[in-house]
Amino acid sequence: MVDLEGAPQAAIGAARPLIELDHLTRRYGALVAVDDVSMRVGDGEIRAIIGPNGAGKTTLFHLITGIVKPSAGRVRFAGNDITGLPAHAICQLGLSRTFQLTSVFPEMTARENARLAAQARDRRRWLPFAGDGVTKRAGSAGDAALELLGLTEVAGRPAGLLSHGDQRLLEVAMAMAQEPKVLLLDEPTQGLVVEETARAVDTLARFLAKSRVTALLVEHDMDVVFRLAHTITVLHRGAVIADGGPSAVKADPRVQEAYLGGMD
Amino acid sequence: MPSRLLGLLVVGLLIAAPFELPAFAMTLLTELVILGLFAMSLDLMVGYTRLVSFGHAAAYGFGAYASGYMLLNSSLPLPFAVLLAAVMTGIVAIGVGWVCTLATGVSFSMLTLAFAQLLYAIGFKWTSVTGGSDGLAGIPRRPGPMGLTVLTTKSGFYYFTLVCLIGSLLLCQKLVASPFGAVLRGIRENEAKTLALGYNTRLYKVAVVAISYALGGLAGALYAPFAGFANTELLFWLLSGQVLIMVIVGGAGTLIGPIIGAAFFLLLAHQLSAYTEAWALFFGLVFIGFILFAPQGIWGLATAWRKHGEGSMAEGRADG
Repeated sequence: MVDLEGAPQAAIGAARPLIELDHLTRRYGALVAVDDVSMRVGDGEIRAIIGPNGAGKTTLFHLITGIVKPSAGRVRFAGNDITGLPAHAICQLGLSRTFQLTSVFPEMTARENARLAAQARDRRRWLPFAGDGVTKRAGSAGDAALELLGLTEVAGRPAGLLSHGDQRLLEVAMAMAQEPKVLLLDEPTQGLVVEETARAVDTLARFLAKSRVTALLVEHDMDVVFRLAHTITVLHRGAVIADGGPSAVKADPRVQEAYLGGMD
Repeated sequence: MPSRLLGLLVVGLLIAAPFELPAFAMTLLTELVILGLFAMSLDLMVGYTRLVSFGHAAAYGFGAYASGYMLLNSSLPLPFAVLLAAVMTGIVAIGVGWVCTLATGVSFSMLTLAFAQLLYAIGFKWTSVTGGSDGLAGIPRRPGPMGLTVLTTKSGFYYFTLVCLIGSLLLCQKLVASPFGAVLRGIRENEAKTLALGYNTRLYKVAVVAISYALGGLAGALYAPFAGFANTELLFWLLSGQVLIMVIVGGAGTLIGPIIGAAFFLLLAHQLSAYTEAWALFFGLVFIGFILFAPQGIWGLATAWRKHGEGSMAEGRADG
């Protein structure tokens, strides 16, 4: 058994589920990318979704955030059916995400990136000529998020010129600047070097503990998973093969088989 | 603020122009102001949102026909007819934008072109309103409101176009610096991310198409009483291509640049056509040169050069 002493304890059970997935399925022709996935994520829970490459993790994120429409099944958020809503409407409900492949605004500075993210939460963002207050509020929310991620020093640089690690952190900062109810992080440490990963994970752990936000996390690095997540869902070929606390998932023979099978 | 000073100087010169310039030069200058407004209106879409319209002549021609028709067939005074025509163009553009933004990239451009060609065909066929292949001729500059005749004179009309251009420029500068403008830049750089951040990008695109067409319609609405006619050439794809060239040569995404691009285009065409029938060929070579060697356009070059100057001055101060 692996030592799980330092792992955060699950704060689930009492709270009603914030996100409910019912028999969610997405087919691409003959390929079933997400196969009849049902899942409950409680308020304040931090859930990692793991699985070998091609297991359907990112597609599952796309289904939850409305970027891809499901072939079958429902997505509920706080009891409301949000299946089929457009991506922008789902984000406005309080689900912010990052992308597996870094997605920022390359010619804008890091500060402008964070500000644009924060501005989306302002009800008056539509008024073209009443903008100074909107810009100022969004700017300070964005700056706060940048500081949280340790990006203040590079805030004035165009995002496209930041290091890969800083770009990934910037994307997390943009999601955080939106003060989401649910944060969906698609491999936040993907492509980072070891020191960057350590910094990113420390920052994330601190942020998640402080904000008590509900989070879904796709991650390959098992150390990161066990450090951050309360619960783990294992996907294999689009389907859930295991679900539960870290120790239970680790001990599950199907998980070991799928992982070893997928790794060679 | 040297750039603001430069701007005031240019505006001062433009205000003083009618007192010094001969009549033919004033005609050219008025046309230049109108074309500058037309090119600037397209920049909102092309430069700030990366919505490349191949059919912006639709806005120009529609505005021209609308104001021309009202001036010929109603007693509306000139400024009202012109502004009303601009508003009408913007309203029609909401529908155009709604359909065209179903597509992105080249398909978007093709749809804008298709709409312009549709209007072109209507201009030809709906003879009772558009005058068919003859177009609308003898469009008057109606006096008013309240018997005001100052706008019907050559200089008065020039000042009216100048006010329209400067007013539109200030409006657009305010718009692109606003939270709304920040979203447009987001769409330009990464539309998928802008959508994922919670912005309904489609509505923003429809809105910018409507504003852009309204201002393009304003330019066309000024052209009809300026030239005294409106014909199908104003709806033709050639004009859509030319205004796109003005934007790119002048410097897309700068608002000022396309105005300069329009002036450059008009003056160069004017000069070259005095020497050769094939002036468009030479202009084409100039355009290719800009695309290859200065894709940031005239204004982009100028600002880069100025920043470079300021940079070396700052270095000099640091050394000394």
